[in-house]
Amino acid sequence: MAAKKYKFISQPRHPTENRRFVAGRGNFVADIDRPDMLHVAPLSSHYPAAIINNIDISEAMMMDGVIDVITGAEIGAAIQPLMNGLDTPKVQRFPLAVNRVRYAGEWVCAVVAETRAIAEDALEKIIIDATPQPFVLDAEEALLPSSPPVHPKHGSNILLDRKFVWGTVGEDFVNAEHNLSFSVIWGRNSTVPIETFGVVAEWNGWDNILDVWASVQMPKYSDQIARCLNLPGNAVRVHYDVDVGGSYGVKRGIKHATLIGYIARKLGRPIRFIEDRLENMRAGDAHGPERKFNVEVAFDSDGSVRSMKMRALDNAGAYAGRAPFQLGKPISAIVGPYQINSVSYHAISVTSNKTVQEAVRGFGQAPTNYAIETAMDRVASFLKMDRLALRQRNLIRSDQFPYLIPSGSTYDSGDYHAVIEKVLTAAEYPTLLANRNHLRDEGMMAGIGIAACLEPSGGNSSFEPLLNESNKTSTWMESCQINIDGLGHLTARIHTTSSGQGHETLVSTVLGEVLEIDPSSIRITRPNSLESLPGNSPVGSRMAIMLGGAAARSAEKLKAKLIKIAAHSLGIDAEKLTYAGGNVLAPDGRKHTWQDAVELAHRQFHNLPEGMDPGLAAFDIMQVPTGNALPVDGKVHMYPCYSFEFHLVLLAFDPVIGRPEIHSYTVGHDCGTVINPAIVSGMTYGGIAHGIGAALLEEFAYDPNGQLMTQSFLDYLMPSSHEVPPIQIVKHCTPSPHTVFGQKGSGESGYLGSPAAISSAINDAVSALDIRFEKLPIRMSAISDAIANKSA
Amino acid sequence: MNLNLTGTESIQTNPSRLWESVIDPAVLQRSIPGCISMDELAPGEYTITLELKVAAVGGNFEGSVKLSEMNPPNSCLINVSGNGTLGIGKGTARVTITANEDDTARITYEADGEVSGLVAGVGQRVLMGVAKHLVRQFFTALKKEFEAN
Repeated sequence: MAAKKYKFISQPRHPTENRRFVAGRGNFVADIDRPDMLHVAPLSSHYPAAIINNIDISEAMMMDGVIDVITGAEIGAAIQPLMNGLDTPKVQRFPLAVNRVRYAGEWVCAVVAETRAIAEDALEKIIIDATPQPFVLDAEEALLPSSPPVHPKHGSNILLDRKFVWGTVGEDFVNAEHNLSFSVIWGRNSTVPIETFGVVAEWNGWDNILDVWASVQMPKYSDQIARCLNLPGNAVRVHYDVDVGGSYGVKRGIKHATLIGYIARKLGRPIRFIEDRLENMRAGDAHGPERKFNVEVAFDSDGSVRSMKMRALDNAGAYAGRAPFQLGKPISAIVGPYQINSVSYHAISVTSNKTVQEAVRGFGQAPTNYAIETAMDRVASFLKMDRLALRQRNLIRSDQFPYLIPSGSTYDSGDYHAVIEKVLTAAEYPTLLANRNHLRDEGMMAGIGIAACLEPSGGNSSFEPLLNESNKTSTWMESCQINIDGLGHLTARIHTTSSGQGHETLVSTVLGEVLEIDPSSIRITRPNSLESLPGNSPVGSRMAIMLGGAAARSAEKLKAKLIKIAAHSLGIDAEKLTYAGGNVLAPDGRKHTWQDAVELAHRQFHNLPEGMDPGLAAFDIMQVPTGNALPVDGKVHMYPCYSFEFHLVLLAFDPVIGRPEIHSYTVGHDCGTVINPAIVSGMTYGGIAHGIGAALLEEFAYDPNGQLMTQSFLDYLMPSSHEVPPIQIVKHCTPSPHTVFGQKGSGESGYLGSPAAISSAINDAVSALDIRFEKLPIRMSAISDAIANKSA
Repeated sequence: MNLNLTGTESIQTNPSRLWESVIDPAVLQRSIPGCISMDELAPGEYTITLELKVAAVGGNFEGSVKLSEMNPPNSCLINVSGNGTLGIGKGTARVTITANEDDTARITYEADGEVSGLVAGVGQRVLMGVAKHLVRQFFTALKKEFEAN
């Protein structure tokens, strides 16, 4: 299928949002200033596990400027527990620890004061009397019946323990010529947005309404707040016009919003809480998956991988959060881009006395891709086969789409071999190999990394009913509403917050394309939750598909109305008319202009077709394409679209120092039709930088006493311009058959494959020494120590 | 994380007077860096309030100090434990006082501590340096007590 030519889509256009951000005129949560606003600082637990005997707030309450101190006991009695997606009713979570703390850093109480500084000072006057309890940090230990349960009423640390067998795994293992097994660990890391989470809430008792401004990326945010605070859904108004200074999944903000909403309602004054970096790093929504994989693969001498057994053990931290579901999304691409005939998958999620894990870019897909790609490298190594040739042999071919994988999802489209060929050409692969060998001749450890992987996109939540049978959700929608005013100008409403994905650019580009008008003439508004149509928020790489889809469908509805009005006015059948540049043209050369239609629709009801409503407005609430069934027998089709990426990296390091330097980085990316090239490239660059952090630097590390050792930027290292090299992006377009323009998702691009590619490169570099790195991040100390141990 | 500190200092006084000083709450309060108060509960037992700053964090610390295995004027064991906004700490120090040949007193300490909480997480890289610095400040102040006399 050839890529279609578009007027605005895929064209190099400046993102709409750039103007205000470049000029420093964004509207962030810290810009929200309400009259008589109070400020909050939370008190954190020093213990990883303890029973709270008493909290003495008397001295803090006597300080000038301190208004209130909220304890866990108070809020636990006043509100409902935070939503828990699993069927684990005894794993309850409140914004503040109730009676028991479960991780070091957990919020025990919150001071409300006239300024944040006073609130922080008052924290020092609060005396907590607590009795330390046994704790568990390691996931394998947490699995043992002898481990101290983080939630004693739940009885164990197991949140989720599900075994799936898709296809003839036993038979395939028996029939395959070889098999091998290994384990790898994905370390706990995050996305670390520049802006920490913040929220402002204000209760208006006369109108019975709670206004919320937040730096958030959370599905069903207003519903969740209302449910927790025992309010009607229409008593919570979340303002969607707050800009978000980075999220990449983590800005969940539900415990913060329920806490601040509760205080705002209790005190009748606006309340602001913006996390400082320490609060964000150890008790915000910062932590991502921490996962151990045990993998077995069965394969033949020719390199064909027949079957895979994967056990994924995830350390969720102290509460359920969204962590267990991050074991679910990867089921939709459990074989990666490969033709693997059968898979067994054992997904286990355990609680531990670590910070709660939340959603991070890719929702668990990047760790799984790392495990799958490690398997490919191991098989190649076992067979002494070229790693690239092994992958090419196993990749799904372009003539095999739509391709049903064993776990029930059907990949929509792709041409993986073509993307790889393009990358090999662009990166000058033979030269790259020569460069690696030349670096080795010079005494450097040099390696080439390869990773091929998928980005499931379109944001369907089918992993929820798959992992929790009492959940019957199949609806996963997005909406858009458009209106042409009396002067003929178009305004579109989007019904969610945006955290840098460029939704205004997306919607104006799509509307401009369909209606053939200049996108820059279109106004985009982001109203509040009460003025919005339903949606599921920008998660799961879904908005190009879903918001773009809803916008296009709204525009098509409006276009049909414009044509109907013209047909009536011109006295010609609508089928004979053509729409061009906003005008409607008759075969005889007559033209019914955009402004003619505006005049009729807004002011001349008597000239409208019979039965037509006045005005020019349309809306669309769109269900995710292909998302129409609940799971059956442990199988379900999840995402409508699958983007493909192929990473090729050359890196080298001095054997004594062990600090990897990336010499060349090329990525091939096929996310179907690109709506805005600058936004997609930005996401890919950012995703790769994030992946370099996950592969080499970033980790929330704990000491044996349960203390988080990397909670400031002094210790939590991130890649800077020194570590992130120039990146060559090679584009390819295989349109998706399921979306209006053939677009697929790209919000998680880059990150899904770069950790695997960098691990592959480092392992290639040390392969001659018979060293294998089996845990991310691979810190320079680990590299130099491993080499030193081999030399000794 | 664990903190281990050992060292020796010579002070311009004799062992008896040094002993009297290090068990005198008033002297200790003047000498311990950041010490806001030190109150005697019983002989050899005190409550102490400190205000400290480590790396990016500062705050108070309230704890108890208990002297045991008293062998005047030669040795004792000091137990410290407490908590505050900075974290939780506990530790023991074995203190030995002997006479130098030049009529000064020599004090030797072997301390073994464990800290956790915010200060351990944030200050880990600098904590040892800060601890040494605080000990140095303590002895500088203690020496001044005798110079003043």
